[in-house]
Amino acid sequence: MSNFKQLSHIGPSLCVKFYNDTILLAAVGPFIHVYEFRSDKLINKCRIFHNNKIHGFDISQEKCVLYGGKSVSIISISDLLNQIDLKHTELYVPEWVVACTLANDNENCYVLTCYNQVLILNPNGVVLHTKKLLNERSILYSGSIKVLDDRVVVNAGTVMGGILIWDLFSEQKIHNLKGHVGSIFYVTVSDDGKYVASCSDDRSIRLWNLENGQEVSIGWGHTARIWNLKFFNNNMNLISVGEDCTCRTWDISSESELITKNVYEVHLTKNCWSCDVQEELMIAATAGNDGRIKLIDMNKASRYGNELQSFTLQSIGETLEIKFEKNEIIKGFHWFSFGLIAITSLGKIIKYVECTQSWNLIVVNEDLASYSNTIGIDNTIIFSNNKGYVLLLAFSDDGRSIIMQKELHTDYLSKVTNCMCVKFDENYLITLESPNPNDNFIALEIEPVSLEIKRTFKFNKPGNFVSSCLEVVNQNYLLVGSRFSTVAIFNLSDCERDAFMIKKLNPGDTVTSIKFVESKDDSNLFSITNRDGFYNIVNINFDNETYEVIHSNKIVKGFLEGAFYNKDNEYITYGFKSTLFYMYNEQHGYEILSQLCGGAHRQWKLCSLDGTNSNEEFMLVYIKASELYLRRIYKPIVPETLVNGLHGREIRDISILPQPFNKEEYLFATASEDTTIRLNKFNLVTGDIKSYWAERKHVSGLQRLKFISNKFLISSSAREELFLWAINTSFSSNPYITVRATLPTSAHSPDLRIMDFDTLFINEDRTDFIVSTIYSDSTMKIWYYDSTDNQFKLLWTSRYKTCCLLNVKLIILEDELYLLVAPTDGHLVVYNITNELETARISDNKLVNIKVPMVPVTLSNLKPEIELAVHQSGIKCMDVEFSKDTFKVYTGGDDNALSISKFYKNGGRICGEFVYSNPKAASSTITSCQLFKNGTRLLSTSVDQIVRVWKVEEDKLVSMASRYTTVADTGSSDIIKDSSLLIGGVGLSVWEYDENSN
Amino acid sequence: MGKSSKDKRDLYYRKAKEQGYRARSAFKLLQLNDEFHFLDDETNLKRVVDLCAAPGSWSQVLSRKMFTESKGNLDGKKIVAVDLQPMSPIENVTTLQADITHPETLSKILHLFGNEKADFVCSDGAPDVTGLHDLDEYVQQQLIMSALQLTTCILKKNGTFVAKIFRGRDIDMLYSQLGYLFEKVICAKPKSSRGTSLEAFIVCLGYNPPSNWEPKLDLNKSVEEFFSGCSLGRLKISDDNKLSNWKIEERDIAEFMSCGGLDSVDSDATYHFDEDDTSNVKKPALVSLDPIQSPTNPPYKKALELKRKGKLTRAV
Ligand SMILES: C[S@@+](CC[C@H](N)C(=O)[O-])C[C@H]1O[C@@H](n2cnc3c(N)ncnc32)[C@H](O)[C@@H]1O
Repeated sequence: MSNFKQLSHIGPSLCVKFYNDTILLAAVGPFIHVYEFRSDKLINKCRIFHNNKIHGFDISQEKCVLYGGKSVSIISISDLLNQIDLKHTELYVPEWVVACTLANDNENCYVLTCYNQVLILNPNGVVLHTKKLLNERSILYSGSIKVLDDRVVVNAGTVMGGILIWDLFSEQKIHNLKGHVGSIFYVTVSDDGKYVASCSDDRSIRLWNLENGQEVSIGWGHTARIWNLKFFNNNMNLISVGEDCTCRTWDISSESELITKNVYEVHLTKNCWSCDVQEELMIAATAGNDGRIKLIDMNKASRYGNELQSFTLQSIGETLEIKFEKNEIIKGFHWFSFGLIAITSLGKIIKYVECTQSWNLIVVNEDLASYSNTIGIDNTIIFSNNKGYVLLLAFSDDGRSIIMQKELHTDYLSKVTNCMCVKFDENYLITLESPNPNDNFIALEIEPVSLEIKRTFKFNKPGNFVSSCLEVVNQNYLLVGSRFSTVAIFNLSDCERDAFMIKKLNPGDTVTSIKFVESKDDSNLFSITNRDGFYNIVNINFDNETYEVIHSNKIVKGFLEGAFYNKDNEYITYGFKSTLFYMYNEQHGYEILSQLCGGAHRQWKLCSLDGTNSNEEFMLVYIKASELYLRRIYKPIVPETLVNGLHGREIRDISILPQPFNKEEYLFATASEDTTIRLNKFNLVTGDIKSYWAERKHVSGLQRLKFISNKFLISSSAREELFLWAINTSFSSNPYITVRATLPTSAHSPDLRIMDFDTLFINEDRTDFIVSTIYSDSTMKIWYYDSTDNQFKLLWTSRYKTCCLLNVKLIILEDELYLLVAPTDGHLVVYNITNELETARISDNKLVNIKVPMVPVTLSNLKPEIELAVHQSGIKCMDVEFSKDTFKVYTGGDDNALSISKFYKNGGRICGEFVYSNPKAASSTITSCQLFKNGTRLLSTSVDQIVRVWKVEEDKLVSMASRYTTVADTGSSDIIKDSSLLIGGVGLSVWEYDENSN
Repeated sequence: MGKSSKDKRDLYYRKAKEQGYRARSAFKLLQLNDEFHFLDDETNLKRVVDLCAAPGSWSQVLSRKMFTESKGNLDGKKIVAVDLQPMSPIENVTTLQADITHPETLSKILHLFGNEKADFVCSDGAPDVTGLHDLDEYVQQQLIMSALQLTTCILKKNGTFVAKIFRGRDIDMLYSQLGYLFEKVICAKPKSSRGTSLEAFIVCLGYNPPSNWEPKLDLNKSVEEFFSGCSLGRLKISDDNKLSNWKIEERDIAEFMSCGGLDSVDSDATYHFDEDDTSNVKKPALVSLDPIQSPTNPPYKKALELKRKGKLTRAV
């Protein structure tokens, strides 16, 4: 008996509901996942249906009715929470089920079908009654049933814009609500029976009066279709989610217009399907196509009441009993654990103590009147002016008294335009910089108790340098970020030495943050961010003065002001986009916070809320319209997500890194239609999946991706994009990935896709290789990748016909080099390119050397040695098995067939034979096929959502096992250790395959 | 909406424009006919129904084949085209704006034919997709079942039925159902249909319903009920009113056929139109590429307007 089963799945979740204030239920494929949501614990996975996806469910205290497709199940909550397999409860309804609702008696339930019929079902699956609205039988995309005190109302959303509201028991029409344009995608009635809310293809939400059928108000805001709605907060608010991946809340009290209260960006790229609200806690949950279960604290900015405070100088002046001048403004500030210290444009230093909520004037300092720069560190504030004057004030923990105070009058520089500070072991390091290129770059080491200068460092200032941020490591190296995406590294034990410069890391904006990540032997990792949105992980060797960017990426949009690893080792970025300040979880791709503040051009500071620098709670201080705002960012009361999800759109290709990452864990990469590549890992035993990064280098939907060795990955897509990525797995913080080289492009057609590629390494150390690329315009190319100058050089190009090419392999047979191509015309085409690549040297069936030709490469008109018809239309997938003097090609086609063809040499030419075909190997397109177990097994996936394993016998394939997969648009797979499978499409599944188990 | 730049680079789009077709879909029907020749019977092809016909390129093909290019007798020939959307007139085609899932549509068509049966029924219908694959495939199959319902009432014995399908997870159930009504069911994919899309066409030849079954449309009966007498309606509520439990359903894989010949344009390929083009594709004349389909009026027109005015930004 073989064991062939799914271990885990991340994919579209179509419905989420809170059961009570601790339990959340989420529908994932045919399963219900049960979460203790506050502690982020998955407590049960219960299979409800054989194959169908669960589209929705209704719950009461004791019971649950679930539906999806034509399936319905009525079960008890206790079974749902405790059993793992309830497939036997699955019942079939003749038509698609649009909604199910439990009746008030807690016994029966109402089942609304897409033809506007309601079946009244008893718990044994007996249809007690069938109710319908006479002559209204056209198809529905949506609907709901509302049990009110005195009646049961059916709300049917038609495809023609109308909403039929009818009374279930009398089967009488109550209203036909007209106003929407296009299909209705959701309709619901408020608990008090007063309102109907609906949404449609027209992207509007409409509120109707159930009593008189009048339209009450309309809400606009969603930029794509809206899929789900719910009333909450005593029917005063609505929550909506949709195709644009946002979740919005609305106030319904106003006449004619629904007022947007909040917008949350909750899912990746496409489709948020469902939402629910836990009203006591005011927590919302959403579920999306990306598989994510997101929780939203709807009181994030009001849960403790003090999240947002603002002060004008005038209001501060009133409590201080001093007068601020008319044109006096706040020039600088810092938040400490006790409160805030700020300075005005006239040198007034003021203090806000949080526990007493009082303002004090500390001192008026004329020296800081016209120009001041403010820095805070521990409990010390540091002010400086442009003449070299520095004032340091150290406060007691409660902020009530100044325990030490120091004034420095420095004269190293002609003018001071920037002053920054960083912790230097236990001490502080203050840097001073002037605009004069001939001045030094100054650093002062300050003892934190006495505030005395311990040491002064005078460095030669590099050219083209304007400092922007600092970091110190190993008690010896001062890293200073600058404009032009440059970092200068000063050696604190050798001031004479010129700084080691890292220049132009990214296109050119200012470096906004440098954060030490980890060190290992001589390697020191730093996270370096750029205002233009790029971030990098850079490995620096101080002794050799070398560096390597091991990770790089760009944020989705906006300005990037900084980044750090949080306590869960997730990479968090922050900055501004349009009028918002944001914090974003870059690893998993969700917003942690957004605060309307007016945008990037203002004074602002992100400080730690409790002064501990724990990176968990923050105080965002900013000025908007001359007002000082304090925005407290607390730890969330519920986890941000219960599942992070993967891709919002189809996964087009999957590749597993051959070498294990950890004991039972392997890294893998996914390439998606959403244009990102994700680097992830999975566990062979548990099936657990964790994603690390979403790389945004491609601008079009991905075609292919493959690890060509344990160090390199190649990915390709439209716009002729092909990138060589370097993988680094030697650090403990994370695996890292960055683009190493980019393939040159030729045409300017955005449609020109690189459909597939294949590589052959040249030398033993697997760094240089040749790569063949094939294109949607029938072009074939061969390139040489030379690791020393890190470039792709064209060796050869030709064209097959005019049709699109789909698959390619480079093959060496008897010391000759062949190119095998599979186009959309269903042929296998073989070219002998040995003589085309004159400089190629092959021995022992290995490519041992190749040189780039001196003359420019022109289009070759080489004719194929053979064109063998094997499929009726496009060959979608291909795998090749080599033996000494033959190779066998296994192909899967758009024509449902799996075929085997054999190629060998005869009289110096390649001959081929079409040896086997199963024309009904699947009921739709076969999208991936792969040999495993030493070529004795073939795995195939197809769009009919069946995963099949075939036994490879002498020139034929015998079906061994086939399983249904819940992954729709099944299109990619990979296998590792002959026993672990990844299946991708709309979602991703981990499977286990073992023929020897009992 | 007008032409997108992607359309402009599409060779079938250009060909459609050149040959005066309203949509590139015309080539799908033409290529299907190249293989099956169901439109080439000059004498016996008289009455034809084009379901889900807007903007009308299939009707144009039918009109040309049956009238303009026909050398035979034109007497009694008739084409009826039905769509939810209005269609601008096409010579020799009677258009009907109606929902094909609505039972009354049948009597309207029958009336237009003077109660005579049709020789050929086709449907290129597709609903708006939601992104929920199972729902989209179901709705598509319901559209096919509605078309099939009409077909069984109107198609003469031995007639041909052609309809668009999505080859998703339950397509083999549909194949098996069709097997009860037609002599031969083939899944055909024209070269003009993109290889990356799930779209294909069922070509059902030799209409031959079970002899003991009489199709009868009833306004209040479901499609399942309609077909229940001929082994097509699989899911019935049993006589004791109990819903059925899960069981393995009958499935069948239809023969696949690629249509359009090796030399026809590949809809997955990229063709170049720029000056420095080195391909040996015969370049279509650079006609002015006005939209070939009349501009549609999407339901979200108002939302687009608001967006253009900057009213849909994230203000909170
Ligand atoms: C792909 S277009 C057909 C193109 C057409 N064959 C041509 O060549 O111009 C699909 C059409 O199906 C129509 N349709 C969808 N559902 C329908 C229904 N229930 N009744 C009638 N037409 C429908 C749509 O209005 C749309 O015009």
